[in-house]
Amino acid sequence: MAAAFTVTLRWFRKRFSLWSILSLPGIAWLVLFFLAPLYVVLAIVFGAVDPTFRTPTPIWNPAHWRAGQFTYVIDRIFGSDAVFGPALLRTAIYVLAASVVCVTVAFPVAYYVARLSGRRKGLILALLIAPFWISYMMRMLAWVNLLADDGLVNKLLSFGGLFNVHEQWLSGKSIVVILGLVYGYVPYMILPLYAGLDRLPQSVLEAARDLGANRARAFVRVVLPMCRPTIVAGVLLTCLPMLGDYYTNDLLSGSPSTAMVGNLIDQTVLTPGETGYAGAFVMIVLVVSLIPMLYYVRSVAKSELTAT
Amino acid sequence: MSEPRRRPRRAPPSRRQFLRLAGTAAVVPATSGLLAACVRAAGSRSVSGALTLAAPDHPVLWPISAGNDPIADNLTPERNATLRLYNYADYIAPAAIKAFEKKYARYNVNVTVSTFNDTDEAITKIRTGAVPYDIYFPSYDQISRLVAAELVRPLNHSYLTNIDKVWATFQNPWYDQRWRYTVPYTVYTTGIGWRTDKVSTDIASLANPYDALWDAKYRGETAVIDDWHTAMAMCLLRAGKNDINTASSADLQVISQQLSELQRTSQPKVTITMYNDLPAGQLGQCQMWSGDVINAQYYLPKHTPVSLLRYWFPPDGHGMVDNDLMVILRDGKNPVLAHLFVQFMLDTKNALTNFSFVGYQPPQRSLVPDTVVARGFVPKNLSTAVVQEEYFDVGYRLLELTVDNDAAWHRIWLAFKAGG
Repeated sequence: MAAAFTVTLRWFRKRFSLWSILSLPGIAWLVLFFLAPLYVVLAIVFGAVDPTFRTPTPIWNPAHWRAGQFTYVIDRIFGSDAVFGPALLRTAIYVLAASVVCVTVAFPVAYYVARLSGRRKGLILALLIAPFWISYMMRMLAWVNLLADDGLVNKLLSFGGLFNVHEQWLSGKSIVVILGLVYGYVPYMILPLYAGLDRLPQSVLEAARDLGANRARAFVRVVLPMCRPTIVAGVLLTCLPMLGDYYTNDLLSGSPSTAMVGNLIDQTVLTPGETGYAGAFVMIVLVVSLIPMLYYVRSVAKSELTAT
Repeated sequence: MSEPRRRPRRAPPSRRQFLRLAGTAAVVPATSGLLAACVRAAGSRSVSGALTLAAPDHPVLWPISAGNDPIADNLTPERNATLRLYNYADYIAPAAIKAFEKKYARYNVNVTVSTFNDTDEAITKIRTGAVPYDIYFPSYDQISRLVAAELVRPLNHSYLTNIDKVWATFQNPWYDQRWRYTVPYTVYTTGIGWRTDKVSTDIASLANPYDALWDAKYRGETAVIDDWHTAMAMCLLRAGKNDINTASSADLQVISQQLSELQRTSQPKVTITMYNDLPAGQLGQCQMWSGDVINAQYYLPKHTPVSLLRYWFPPDGHGMVDNDLMVILRDGKNPVLAHLFVQFMLDTKNALTNFSFVGYQPPQRSLVPDTVVARGFVPKNLSTAVVQEEYFDVGYRLLELTVDNDAAWHRIWLAFKAGG
């Protein structure tokens, strides 16, 4: 028995390296919680609908898949009856705008914490992470109160009643949804940027200054290029969840005029007969998400090549 | 001169590679089979054949299938049991539940409430049979599917003597003749709620009060109910069309145009939280269920008088009227206790306890508009939210639609929700 075990172990060691064995849990995780669910989504998108309850009936065999539900969604994104097109375009604009604002806000903060905060670094980092301790929904609900007609924001803008401000912030304003996204996701941008900037070698910056570059030039020519993969990672970390976000819009607007693709998924996933549409929207988001992901992989590969 | 580089040709697979490929090829169908088996294992009763759809002009007597007989008379309640209710959130008074547990304390009864967001979600979960809920609180437009899939248990009327306390119309309703499977839970109308401090128009006095929701003057202060049928039916009523279950493509076109106009003019919020948003001042006017406007009085900020709330529903009853039900589920483990609970909730005292918490009126004979106001359930300025039995003679009902028609309605709603 022991001999058989030893032989098996030896065979196993010969066939597989330690690292490939260690990767098994990760692979199992991916298969169970990514590939299998993805396959279920595909089986629903290309599946059928129960004629009575109108619940999705997945078709597991790809040979029998039907494209009806998927093409219905695609036709309404690009076809003459493009009712979903505006929501997708709106999502792209909101996510892009929110990402740009996130970078603009997060970069100086991360730069300060990483390079200039000195002994207060730990405290500031803790404060930056503090919003994570409160659930996203609670933070958004807090904004609902602040932005209400008689909320603190209008009170502040009216300077204690000096001006008559009755701005209806929660009545379907794009800017409120975008700022809501920024507020919700900016910590996810700050942390990777901080990690990247913290690792930036001081010697390289000093070399730039020694070679005659002023602060601004050193920043543009040295810091920014070296931080590009970090910035891309930060943008990815924020824009991927933003793409599927629906409750920011639900809570801060509630109007169809600011609906994003996440709202379409939320609307269709439990609607009888429309679960397949939700799956189709998920597939579209997945494919769109792959583009920045591929850019990130390429960007990292390029920087590694430069480093070597 | 070097030769141009060529993409290396793939060598034919070795025996080992072939086996590996064959293994992968075998795994994919096996995984498919496994997933399919998982779904089947979850269990869901299917239905063969077309559904019978009930309507006021097409009353239905649902069959009782073999093996799904009502329970026998005079059974002893289950002991040490957990009675599982499946309901919307905050749609049953905790005081009523406690009172039931107290009444049957000698049997050591424990009542739990699980909640759902909408009835489609609920029915999906019930079909899986994962949790043996005893009592479910659906709308009447689900009864055909519940009966067809044999998810509900026929009632034994000998336990439900309090049925004579509810309106006559529900003692032999068109959606369930001879009340074989259902008893009424609440009744409500769908109208317009508003605040007089935010909306200067007296909506009730308008020639067509529905126009108020399309008024650009109240852009940003308007909301419609986030329920496809309720919101879309209002578009038809505004356009003067009373068939709120229409299958006519011309009528559906009217709905689509009305929704586009609504989006263009008042750009409404689409929500079901008007019971909170209206009293909180986030809305000035909204499409509203009568139960929600009654509830809204409890959500008013301090120092905001209830007198500024108003509700309009056509005084002649020609508007949307609805009712929710209690049904006993077949998979429930405590059918006797379930009957006793239904009987308990039909009792006037307990029904009123529930009314004072949920804001939705029970169809009790003893509740007439004057007494509802006089006993403080509803403030005088919201007396229009009191549901009257006569409304059910002339009001419009949201019915279950045929599959194709349902899909057509949903497509229009989805386009509206997409903000396109």
